[in-house]
Amino acid sequence: MTTLTLDAPRLRTPGTPAQRTRRWLSQNGLYVYTIAAIVYLMLPIAVMIAYSFNRPLGKTNFSWREFSFDAWLHPFAPLGLEDAVAASLRIAFISTLVATILGTLIALGLTRYRFRGQSGTNLFIFLPMATPEIVLGASLLTLFVSLGWARNETTILIAHIMFNISYVVVTVRARISGFDRRLEEAAMDLGATEMVTFWKVTFPLILPGIMAAALLAFSLSIDDFVITNFTAGQTVTLPMYIYGAYRVGVPVQVNVIGTIIFGTAVGAVLLSTLLQRRDRAR
Amino acid sequence: MSEQNPSLLSRAMTRRRMLQGSALAGVAAFLAACGTAAQSTAPSAAPSAAASTAPSVGASASPVLSPTPVPSPAAVLNFANWPLYIDQDTSNPPKSPTLDEFTKKYGTKVNYKESINDNEQFFGTIQPVLQAGQDTGWDLIVMTDWMAARIITLGWTETIDTGNAPNFVANENDGYKGLSWDPNNDKRAPWQSGMTGLGFDSKVAGNVTATASMWQNDPRWTGKVWMLTEMRDTVGLTMLKLGLDPATATQANCDAAIAEIKKATDAGIVRSFLGNEYKQKLISGDLVLGFAWSGDIIQAQLEKSTLKFNIPTEGGMLWTDNMLIPKGAQHKYTAELMINWVYDPKIAAQIAAYVQYVSPVKGCAEELAKNPDKTVSVLAKNPLMFPDSATLAQTHIFAALSETDATYFNNAFQGVSGQ
Amino acid sequence: MGALLRRYRSVVPYLLLAPGIAWLFVFYLYPAIQMFITSFWSGSLEQGYTFSLSNWTNYTTALSRYQDQFIRSIFFAGGATILTFLISFPLAYTIAFRGGRYKNLLLFLVVAPFFTSFLLRVISWGTILGDDGLLLGPLKSAGLVGEDVRILATPIAVISGIAYNFLPFMTLPIYVSLEKIDRRLLEAGQDLYATPVSTFRKITLPLALPGMFAGTLLTFIPAMGDYVNAELLGQTPNTKMIGNVIQSRFLAVNDYPTAAALSFILMAGILVAVAVYARILGTEELMNATI
Repeated sequence: MTTLTLDAPRLRTPGTPAQRTRRWLSQNGLYVYTIAAIVYLMLPIAVMIAYSFNRPLGKTNFSWREFSFDAWLHPFAPLGLEDAVAASLRIAFISTLVATILGTLIALGLTRYRFRGQSGTNLFIFLPMATPEIVLGASLLTLFVSLGWARNETTILIAHIMFNISYVVVTVRARISGFDRRLEEAAMDLGATEMVTFWKVTFPLILPGIMAAALLAFSLSIDDFVITNFTAGQTVTLPMYIYGAYRVGVPVQVNVIGTIIFGTAVGAVLLSTLLQRRDRAR
Repeated sequence: MSEQNPSLLSRAMTRRRMLQGSALAGVAAFLAACGTAAQSTAPSAAPSAAASTAPSVGASASPVLSPTPVPSPAAVLNFANWPLYIDQDTSNPPKSPTLDEFTKKYGTKVNYKESINDNEQFFGTIQPVLQAGQDTGWDLIVMTDWMAARIITLGWTETIDTGNAPNFVANENDGYKGLSWDPNNDKRAPWQSGMTGLGFDSKVAGNVTATASMWQNDPRWTGKVWMLTEMRDTVGLTMLKLGLDPATATQANCDAAIAEIKKATDAGIVRSFLGNEYKQKLISGDLVLGFAWSGDIIQAQLEKSTLKFNIPTEGGMLWTDNMLIPKGAQHKYTAELMINWVYDPKIAAQIAAYVQYVSPVKGCAEELAKNPDKTVSVLAKNPLMFPDSATLAQTHIFAALSETDATYFNNAFQGVSGQ
Repeated sequence: MGALLRRYRSVVPYLLLAPGIAWLFVFYLYPAIQMFITSFWSGSLEQGYTFSLSNWTNYTTALSRYQDQFIRSIFFAGGATILTFLISFPLAYTIAFRGGRYKNLLLFLVVAPFFTSFLLRVISWGTILGDDGLLLGPLKSAGLVGEDVRILATPIAVISGIAYNFLPFMTLPIYVSLEKIDRRLLEAGQDLYATPVSTFRKITLPLALPGMFAGTLLTFIPAMGDYVNAELLGQTPNTKMIGNVIQSRFLAVNDYPTAAALSFILMAGILVAVAVYARILGTEELMNATI
């Protein structure tokens, strides 16, 4: 072609509709899939939140009847729900605190030092995660009875700390192993002692990992059912309440509590991300 | 890593991390504060030591016996029960009128927990403790006949000092007295009775009157039938269908019943073996027909008016849930006060109006009939709540099994129910 | 303080580990050993229990009596793991390679469901998958499926339930592995005329292997012991898993010896899998690859 014809610019991409579709899919297919996957992940959460606004006729919250704020206005109306939530929160907070401390110590010991029995310890830490919860719970119950300890919140606490340690170790380890030792060496080159280096350099850098581990431990504790069931005595935690209520009809207020817990956790993470962004911008 | 001065970098990072950390710590602290604030502090009303509280209340038709010299009511009573087994109004923060009035009268905070969902499951939580001779933490528990018998026979209950519970002595319906495992009527106090029969959605299934229908491959209910996980109910009703008497339950009878159940599951007619959750599925429509407990169906009719309960023509089961005081209970006297309390016909009527099972208290029906609310007073005539002798004649009680038999039955039943 | 540390340097790791390990010893190992002893008991509550080594038959009885449930558990857990993997891998891949600015947001969305109660999630699925629920209801009204089609009370419901609950466990380790891949390796592959498909097959996939293994193990192991999904979504006798059996043996029938034996059989199987994995990749990798 020797002459240049200035046509109107081609605004449509070339090819047949089939070719265009195929190209669009190959470029964007993954994004579509991801969105679909996220929707799938959120579906039960959405249902839970939606049904917290339901006002069922009786005790079963299966079919949508009418929109109402009733449950939100009286979130602790069902008998025993308030105590259950309070117990769950108390146990989660304390067990998270203790397990995070113990687990972080172990993680530090395992990653920064070489010593005999290291791989054995590694495996030993992993074992509770591999043990069926029911074995953990039942064996603890047997232990408490043989020691003559009454089962109550304290025994639940002991159990929760026990299974949380492994998860904390694994999480913190991941953070420590990605940590650049040269920063520590630099600090020490500049005259800082080991303790100072640890608190001013190492600890702040691994803090996100510790926080992530704490968040994980908190979620695991607040959600645990099987082990708690065995070690609770006559204490009732939120999951136990839900499981018991499931038989007769989970009250709408449980959905409300679930939504609140979800919202709080989401809010906490969003808050920390926002702070992170703001810091970065500075 | 950037090329900045490491100390500057570390300071910047420290600040950022501390902010992050404190944000999360703040949230955590907030959550903890929520937890401790919500912890309901017991109205620590000091038990009035001066008041010699005469436990008998109300206009019961029988003479009141004065109690033996009394210790004072405890500050707390730990009471474990099945769900939806006590009156409760849900329009406000939680209130059970029966328990609240008890607290007002005696100053005791009732720690009422609906922790019992299954006899054996609950027993599993207290058995190791009782075996070690320790306090379970409960003062009152409610167990079905056969489990109550088992616990009593094992010697793991306290004897009720009936001097402290004159209402119980006076108002316990005669049909409950003189059982072989509680000959002196001082080991347990019946809480409610109930019947097991057929529960169904009459709109979908019509009027079902025979257990045998559950074995028919009817398109109205095939694949939507359930049976109970409670072995004595399911096996008992199946035995009745086969013309066997559950009161004489031999291993051979058991085998026959199990084989019969297997026919229904193999044919795909029976969908699940359930506990209390069958009610929800009946309401949601996932299930149409199955073995059900009388009070459950009456309560469920509120949500789905087409639900019905029938005692099968072949016969239904009758059972009783009983209050027991576990051995080593710390507040035995207060537990006896509670037993006395709920055997007051007025209180019994209050409970019955809500749970709608068979009350063991004499005078309960009369109290219900007096209620100005029509929906309540009509319950006094409900044959499922106050069965006449004709209705009772259709019901049967499952035999008390020996230990070897119980294991045999349980194993066989679990084989077919898949547990 | 620093001087002290230097002198006793070799002791420091043991000191750091002591409290946590001690806790695990007392509250994990010792009770587990006691439970092991229980599996050699015979007898009953009323008659009392006696210990005897000849009661190793408890194990064989348990295995033969419940082999159906064991095999079913392997199928369900395995099926769920495969399903989870198929769903998670493209998701992790997209986040790692195409996530860009939204990486953290997407990761958060993957983990967010975890912030609600596990029981509530399963119950919500029960509502969604009900015979006339949010999924089947409209389909049945539109006449697209038969009236007696159901999802609940079938193996499909249980497998989907388990798969759903372990999605974050599978996605995160795979993501971590994929994210660590040095992009220059991929560029090098392309420079050497590799097609996208073979780049994926020969470079990406092998490097993602540690994450895949970790995710698989983190899903399969707890799934084997799960009983909540089978109970709330499965509901029929022929979807019961070994977890249900153990639970009912412990709590419903109080048959402790059998329950203990079953638990240890389950644990043994799991430990074999873990040991094999640990041998292949080394325990360090196992730790690093998780999360």
